[in-house]
Amino acid sequence: MASDDFERDALRHLDALYNFALYLSRNPSDADDLVQETYLRAFRFSHRFEPGTHLRAWLFQILRNTFLTFYRVRGREIAVAEDGIPDWDVPMFHEAPEESSRIADAHTDLERAMRRLPEEFRTVLLLAEVEGLPLEDVARIMACPVGTVKSRIFRAKERLRVLLHDYQP
Amino acid sequence: MTDEWSEIGDDALGRRLHEELPRYAAPPGLRGAILAQRPRRGRPAAWFAPTVSALATAMVLVLVGLTWLPRTMSGDVVQRIVNGVVLEHTRVMMWGARRPEIVPAALAQDSGIRLAKVFVGDDVLSLEASEPVYIDWRHGVALHYRDQDGHRITYVALPAPRMPMPDRQRVQVDRYKPALMRVGGFATLVWKHGDVACFLVSNMVSASDLERFKEYFVRDRVATEPFLLY
Repeated sequence: MASDDFERDALRHLDALYNFALYLSRNPSDADDLVQETYLRAFRFSHRFEPGTHLRAWLFQILRNTFLTFYRVRGREIAVAEDGIPDWDVPMFHEAPEESSRIADAHTDLERAMRRLPEEFRTVLLLAEVEGLPLEDVARIMACPVGTVKSRIFRAKERLRVLLHDYQP
Repeated sequence: MTDEWSEIGDDALGRRLHEELPRYAAPPGLRGAILAQRPRRGRPAAWFAPTVSALATAMVLVLVGLTWLPRTMSGDVVQRIVNGVVLEHTRVMMWGARRPEIVPAALAQDSGIRLAKVFVGDDVLSLEASEPVYIDWRHGVALHYRDQDGHRITYVALPAPRMPMPDRQRVQVDRYKPALMRVGGFATLVWKHGDVACFLVSNMVSASDLERFKEYFVRDRVATEPFLLY
């Protein structure tokens, strides 16, 4: 049973969680469900959250665990085409500011390459690089040592470079 | 352009991910959907938490108490003594009585139990030995019989003024109602004679043997009268 303050604080991270959920599930409908389930669990188990610790990381942890439990296990990850573009293919830049064509292409390549990464590589880059979470928090979210997080980041970037290279003309 | 990505460093790639990877904001209706489905509750009354706490404490105490009850209540005392009686019986079966020469009348000084009357055997059961015993921290008396088929039957009397009878296991045998307890392939009939707890144990556990065992009980029960000397 969450207090009103807790609910308000948690909902401040809604956009970040949705973004993370979309990159994990690769499907807007599943991302909606994933985020709703994450908040439902967070509110239900809010008494387990230790005030003063990182609420944002705690929410990411719930979201990823929910994803692993309900989505990956059920095989609901959408098959991604070789070019990294899923069938649903949401408007890619509806939130992006006006930018040059070159930058837009780069966005497309980055996003496509990210979507083709294995989940653990995608997750570690999203949390550590995109969200800027401390490595300790990432390690807690992914239930692994900090050293493993560093190693995954390194390997994820290597893989990402190869994928991005494939998109070059 | 060809080498734009393949030569980019780790830090630069991380920076570009942070700055250039598209971010997707939650759809406008999602916040409302989350708020609509969140579990709502009324604020609990002031008495609620202390009451729940008290109930939980009481439950814990009951559970802890339950683990101790079998050690302190009558049922377990009876079981413990019966176990000791059966062990004594099996010891005699294997090794014989320690002091078979003792006559029952001489046991009073050692045991504190006087046998005002003693079943000394008949054409069905023969008394083979009698001896003092020490079972469950109690001095008592044991009489060992053998029937015509070679079954050994042991009678034990122990001081147990506060030992209640295990009511659920009582059986009707003639005009008596002893408790019938089974331990490890042995049958034991338990009854009280004033402040003395009496036990008759044998390995006669099949249906037909048990009926004979009950007959032996009647013979012994009628003819033996123990009482505490002090």
